[in-house]
Amino acid sequence: MTNFRLPKLTFWRTVVAVIFLAGAYAAYARFALGFQQSTNLADSQPWGLWVGLGTLCGVGISAGGFAIAAAVYLLGFERYRPVVRAAVLLSFLGYLTVIVGMMYELGLPWRIWHPIVMWNRRSVLFEVSWCVMLYTTVLSLEFSPSLVEKIPWVRLRELYLKWHHHLLIALVLIGAILSSLHQSFLGGLYLLAKGKVDPLWYSSYLPTLFYLSAVPAGLAATIMAVYLCNRSLHARVDPRVLAELSQIIAPMLYVYALLRGIDLVTHGGAGYLFKWREESLLFWFEIAMFVIAPVLLLSQSKVRNNPNALYGTCALVVMGFMANRLNVSITAFQASSGFYYIPKWTEFALSMATVTAAGVAFHYAVIYLEILPRSVPAKNWMTRHPATA
Amino acid sequence: MPKSKAILIDITKCIGCLSCEAACKQLHGFSQDPEPKLSPTAFTIVEEHGDRYVRRMCMNCQDPACASACLVGALKKTELGPVTYESSKCIGCRYCLVACPFNVPRYQWSKLAPFVTKCDMCYARQAKGQSPACVEACPVQASIVGWRDEILEEAQRRILSDTKYEKHIYGSEEVGGTSVFYISDVPFEKLGFTKVESQPMPVLTANALGDIPTVVTVGGGLLAGLYWITNRRKLVALAEAAESARSGKGKDPHHD
Ligand code: SF4
Repeated sequence: MTNFRLPKLTFWRTVVAVIFLAGAYAAYARFALGFQQSTNLADSQPWGLWVGLGTLCGVGISAGGFAIAAAVYLLGFERYRPVVRAAVLLSFLGYLTVIVGMMYELGLPWRIWHPIVMWNRRSVLFEVSWCVMLYTTVLSLEFSPSLVEKIPWVRLRELYLKWHHHLLIALVLIGAILSSLHQSFLGGLYLLAKGKVDPLWYSSYLPTLFYLSAVPAGLAATIMAVYLCNRSLHARVDPRVLAELSQIIAPMLYVYALLRGIDLVTHGGAGYLFKWREESLLFWFEIAMFVIAPVLLLSQSKVRNNPNALYGTCALVVMGFMANRLNVSITAFQASSGFYYIPKWTEFALSMATVTAAGVAFHYAVIYLEILPRSVPAKNWMTRHPATA
Repeated sequence: MPKSKAILIDITKCIGCLSCEAACKQLHGFSQDPEPKLSPTAFTIVEEHGDRYVRRMCMNCQDPACASACLVGALKKTELGPVTYESSKCIGCRYCLVACPFNVPRYQWSKLAPFVTKCDMCYARQAKGQSPACVEACPVQASIVGWRDEILEEAQRRILSDTKYEKHIYGSEEVGGTSVFYISDVPFEKLGFTKVESQPMPVLTANALGDIPTVVTVGGGLLAGLYWITNRRKLVALAEAAESARSGKGKDPHHD
């Protein structure tokens, strides 16, 4: 049993190692040298990739957890139960990346606790910070049974699980409300920047639009994660469950596109749609990936029922969603700031490393815990099984 | 708001001597090199637009976007007029920079413990009854300070008494009013003044924040109601199953 071996040097391990090394250097640059050496941020672009990707995308893509948990526990969609744990775990890790991201995004991260005691109820960011704190706590509690059931002390374990069972519904309900609030308030942050945000993205409906886009992106990310576990980690989730889940995405994108279109016309942003400028091109890039292509593809049962095609379509949704958040947070400010912001490589490296760490954590959680139904038993961390390594 | 202070900057009077810049830098202990733009070491600067000089500084809005943005309340509108910054609260999120419609706050990007910097209308001096350093330094009274209502009256008097003035006091309506006013004989757009909302910026987020109770009560109630229905259905189904199991003994037990 003590047959200890060095991990094999595989392609993916090398990639992960390189990302972590680059991330480690970037973290050094951020904390030892400061923002100026580690980012291309400036007074006219005070929020860059770390907010756009780390916070906006991180929170948005983590919307799957609350949506699927609410569907299963509150609305009784039992058929999604096999993926509910994976969705919750994905969200939990997503929020952890957001909080880790805060540690390098904030100028004075050791004061991250200040909003707990220093209140400004007029600040959208204050509400966001409270919701994120509370919801991450809710997620950790929702996720906790996966860890607790591995505790060897039966009494403690049973006690905890019984107690948890009673609280679960309340947790899921609170989680759904908190999520709805801060998913939309992330868009609400930009309401205050009226006049700076390009008319193609500014809208008084930004909160609603952020909410309506986060849910399909979160579902798509969950489908992708489960697909990958099916493919590489011996998970055995019926592809029909994923296909069914994907059927919710298209209608949501319809509603989103409809509201966005009406809003563009009524706000007068529509006049910019066909202007020959970088913003308009990036707008169409975003809409094509996030709405048009997925809606067309998902209407085909061939696509929905082919796991590979479904995976690709969901990847489009997630990437289109990311394009939207980066457009709102970066592209939309370019004209008004007169500053062309391109993130420094260290900004990419630190974001990549954070997301990769979450991916690695997800991978091991699926192997060691009961996250998804699998054709092999969960590994036990007390003993090593060289045979299945 | 009780009586508060305001500054009037008369662009027709400024001679571009930069005394205000120098006084500001000296008060804050910054190096005296003139800077082209507001920076962490330049809270006021004088811009040249043709043959006019425009002094920039924080507008110290009546209902400031930055103060509503700041999640920890580090930025505050004081009763005296200045918008102050309490650095010991700031967490460095930079939402105030995103929010400011005049792009005034600056961040100390090169520092390892960076803070936000901006003019606070010499709050400390004004609280002691002194004038802001920049106003005091101006040799031609292009900037004057006083009670806000009186300063507004003075501005009004000037633009009405002389036809050369543009008939607008910049800052009287902008973002719901500011504590720094400009009057000019050249249209403001030509001097690099931003066209901003006429309503206070925080109004834009107040509506969204006002929805919280609705989301919590209606959303929560709706979800709870749906859960109740789901749960009842489950119970009914269980009861029916139990019922049919009791009455239907002997039938195929695998049938469901
Ligand atoms: S950077 Fe500091 S002052 Fe500005 S909003 Fe954030 S916490 Fe407030």
